[in-house]
Amino acid sequence: MSFMAFMEMMGSSNIAIVAAFFIGLMTAISPCPLATNITAIAYVSKRINNSKHTLLVGFLYTLGRMFSYTLLASLIVWFGISSQSISLLLQKYGNHILGPLLLIIGVIMLDIIKLNFLKASNRLTKLKQKLANKGYMGSFLLGSIFALAFCPFSAVLFFGMLIPIAIKSGDGLIIPAVFAFATGLPVIIFSLILTVNPK
Amino acid sequence: MVKVKLCILLIIVFLVGCSTPNIVSESPISENNIVEKIEVYHFHGENQCFSCRTIKEFAEKTVNTHYQDLLESGKMEFRSINLDKFENKDVTAKYGATGSSLWIGTYVNGEFHKKENTNVWYKVNDEEAFVSSLKTLLDKRLSGDLK
Repeated sequence: MSFMAFMEMMGSSNIAIVAAFFIGLMTAISPCPLATNITAIAYVSKRINNSKHTLLVGFLYTLGRMFSYTLLASLIVWFGISSQSISLLLQKYGNHILGPLLLIIGVIMLDIIKLNFLKASNRLTKLKQKLANKGYMGSFLLGSIFALAFCPFSAVLFFGMLIPIAIKSGDGLIIPAVFAFATGLPVIIFSLILTVNPK
Repeated sequence: MVKVKLCILLIIVFLVGCSTPNIVSESPISENNIVEKIEVYHFHGENQCFSCRTIKEFAEKTVNTHYQDLLESGKMEFRSINLDKFENKDVTAKYGATGSSLWIGTYVNGEFHKKENTNVWYKVNDEEAFVSSLKTLLDKRLSGDLK
């Protein structure tokens, strides 16, 4: 049996939790989440000498993804918000917002462009320090923002495969949480490897 | 250690208990089902991914190769629909497409049934498996089986 046939079989499992987990794994290796996960791994590796920090950052990133996916799923399953509207909205405008946002955050964090008015702002300096040094809140935010970056294939996996399972099960919490855990699994595994062997 | 194992076991039981089987149940198979028309609709956005284009290509190939007579008679229709275009708003809403997707719409006994075919996404690297899977599904629909 080929890898894709196995993923299809498991993703169509009669047990909703199993199906959610394998759809999540499929998402983790699909183009957009894969790119965001690689970025997250780079973020996790920032303080490679502190194993506790690395592990926690990896988990918080996944928790951030869990937050966004669960929020979306519960809005659809429990509050009856149209999955079509959310999906099309996020696919149309999500990346348009995310791209410039990441660029702005990057410019602020790296001090690439020295902006005088930024220096004057004490609040922004504090924010910059938080983003650069704290890591914990940053990784959670990174996960929750990246989870909303839907491209066509990841949208199919979430809105076309996972949401119907969640609706059928009437579960807007555990099923998307398991899905989210699987999407962040590569980052968790990587942070675990770094924790065991940091050098 | 025993407590930890017990906790893990309880969590697993809880998680499994919360889930209900993911069984797709639609209209039952009926010998009286008269299929009037089948629509094979491929939805896509303005910006298409590689897999989205492949699904359109393979699906079109499947219907053109195996159902030419039905296409000519009008019993089957294939369309590739840009859901970002305003003129396609109604058909997108009718199907409930949430993005790039392949849908099979069946008009049977005067009623309309729709179902997204998500399995095709696992077969974008295997044309033979894609065509075979879609043909099996379309044959089922043509025989009045809506499961």
